[in-house]
Amino acid sequence: MNHEPKFPGMRSVEDEKSVDGLRLTAHGPGSIARVWAICAKDATQELRRRIAIVAVFFFAATALALVSFAIGPFGLPEEDRPPLQAALLWIILFFAAATGLPRAFAHEEETGTAFALRKTLPATLVLAGKTLFNWLLFLAIAAVTIPGFLVLLDWRVGSPAAIAVTVLAGGYGLAVVSTFLSALSARSGQRSVLFVLIAFPLLVPLLLTAIAATLEATRGDFPWMPLRVLIAYDGAATGAAYMLAGAAWED
Amino acid sequence: MKFLKLLLLPYLSAVIAAAFLWPEPAEGFLGESSRIVFFHVPCAWTSTLAFLVAAAYSLAYLRRRNPWHDDIAAAAVRIGLLFGVLTLVTGSLFAHIMWGSWWNWDPRESSYLLLVFLYGAYVFLRASIEDPERRARIAAAYALFAAVLMPFLVFVAPRITASLHPQTVINPQGRILMDAPTKTVFFGALFGFSGLFLWLLSLEARLERLSRARRNARPA
Amino acid sequence: MVSSRDPVSTTTLTAEKLDKSFSGPPLFSGLDLRAETGLVAVSGKNGSGKTTFLKILAGLMRPTAGRVLVERDGRPLPEPERRLALGWAGPDLALYGELTAEENLLFFRRAAGRQTSLEDIRRRLSQAGLSEASGRRVEQYSTGMTQRLRIAFATLFDPPLLLLDEPTAGLDAEGRAMALGVIDHARRHGAVVVASNDERDFVAPEQRVELGGGGSREP
Repeated sequence: MNHEPKFPGMRSVEDEKSVDGLRLTAHGPGSIARVWAICAKDATQELRRRIAIVAVFFFAATALALVSFAIGPFGLPEEDRPPLQAALLWIILFFAAATGLPRAFAHEEETGTAFALRKTLPATLVLAGKTLFNWLLFLAIAAVTIPGFLVLLDWRVGSPAAIAVTVLAGGYGLAVVSTFLSALSARSGQRSVLFVLIAFPLLVPLLLTAIAATLEATRGDFPWMPLRVLIAYDGAATGAAYMLAGAAWED
Repeated sequence: MKFLKLLLLPYLSAVIAAAFLWPEPAEGFLGESSRIVFFHVPCAWTSTLAFLVAAAYSLAYLRRRNPWHDDIAAAAVRIGLLFGVLTLVTGSLFAHIMWGSWWNWDPRESSYLLLVFLYGAYVFLRASIEDPERRARIAAAYALFAAVLMPFLVFVAPRITASLHPQTVINPQGRILMDAPTKTVFFGALFGFSGLFLWLLSLEARLERLSRARRNARPA
Repeated sequence: MVSSRDPVSTTTLTAEKLDKSFSGPPLFSGLDLRAETGLVAVSGKNGSGKTTFLKILAGLMRPTAGRVLVERDGRPLPEPERRLALGWAGPDLALYGELTAEENLLFFRRAAGRQTSLEDIRRRLSQAGLSEASGRRVEQYSTGMTQRLRIAFATLFDPPLLLLDEPTAGLDAEGRAMALGVIDHARRHGAVVVASNDERDFVAPEQRVELGGGGSREP
């Protein structure tokens, strides 16, 4: 297998100290403020546009109602309910998030604001800011869905603290992966289909683990094992997203 | 590569013949069905190898931006997809013989299905981007991102629930539970399939490079 | 902070053997440029690659071959400063419609990690002739107002190297005067690269780049 003379983007390892496409440079102490600025900007945009946010919450509410109607009348025995409830919770959360999270980068590309953003910030910070926003959005969805679950599906939770931690950790993983993949799919045709396809294989392990953790929490045990896996997943995804941010969102 | 091709034909023929004729069927398996291990596992191994190759060349592409590396990565994933599907099919046949159902949602099965989905997603991702530079870069980023999350895909699901899957060839004690003839054919098949992979990869990668050259040569 | 009035340091923009092609024959090839102070006029027919050229200089696009260097006192500028040392505005530049002009510029300053205040932003907007509309959402802006805002964005970090693509497009007489004033100020304190179809945008350029024939030449 021979080597061809390289042609696209001549910046190779010899030319630069930082390896382009794989972010290895460190960021200064002001980075947190910058990340927060992006998150706040996204939030302001979404809140002013309103339609998008409303759609996401409306979806969650509708899905919740549908599930309640579907499960309620069948009168499942007590023992069978927890696994089903745990799975359904995360399915609803995932799909509600899937209507909102992928738009992180898509909107920037559609409206042409991506140029201004790219001109001012490195990809890693943009990714971090949008991930933060998506995480907060997810937590907001959960804050609405879970009480609904408690009421409509008579969900009994043994360990609320464990549920909270699971939602935080699982939501974070979902946010990191979704935001990164949103950057990858932002400029392609069939964007929404593409997003679901590339996200599905990577998110299933996360969802399964979150469901397992939720199930354990419902039974009153603190789900140490699944949580450890979730944290590991979150860490791995964060590291990978940080390193590959430049490659995902340049040019 | 020509040498490899000429060698592969008699070698793999010998392996296949041996798989059916030489070792005795293993205990605990229905009829001759244990012979599937000579095909099913090498397919699984090959698709995993394909993924590793794709990840390695994706990394190489991002560092050097050499389009040939992208050709190889893309080719590797396509071949991985092929062998992944074959793994699922052979596994399904086996499941039908042993337990009467084509699919059991066994965690190991399911995580393999996810892997095949991943390959398919990569191919779809590539297909959705027109610009060759961007396509190569985005595909490489996806391959590497997926590579980092792969362990969770492959190892997590089986841990969370119990498994129907026959005990793996390499078990926790580190010993290989096969008799000599089986071992020989098994590793022979593994080796042969790897060779097959290399040859197919070479073909596919060169094909990719040719079609890229043709696309570039076309007037705008 | 980048100060173009610093007598000791000079920032240089160098383009070496730039090629660009979009899967087909090249748009331009072998393009060289070196700019330190003064005005560089980039002209050429529609579709000759002026916008692409400026985007490559700005770091928004990768060249197919060649490279762009931004150096201060002979040494390459490290990343955070490099990005902000180049100001860019072009027809593809869009700011956030749901935000007001003030909010937009505040955001970009904060996002870049630079000190900012509402007074500073208002002053800049007023210099661009947008003091009345500074509190209005950008989606309500007219073409001329949008263009003025683009120029305010390009100069947001007082860059020593300014890249302006069609700077007077859609501007009324006052707006044109403002834009030309910005160019004039920038050329005396650093380098400005202006791409335009309108010859009136080029006032005695120090260098000229003619696209559509490949390469560059000194006047």
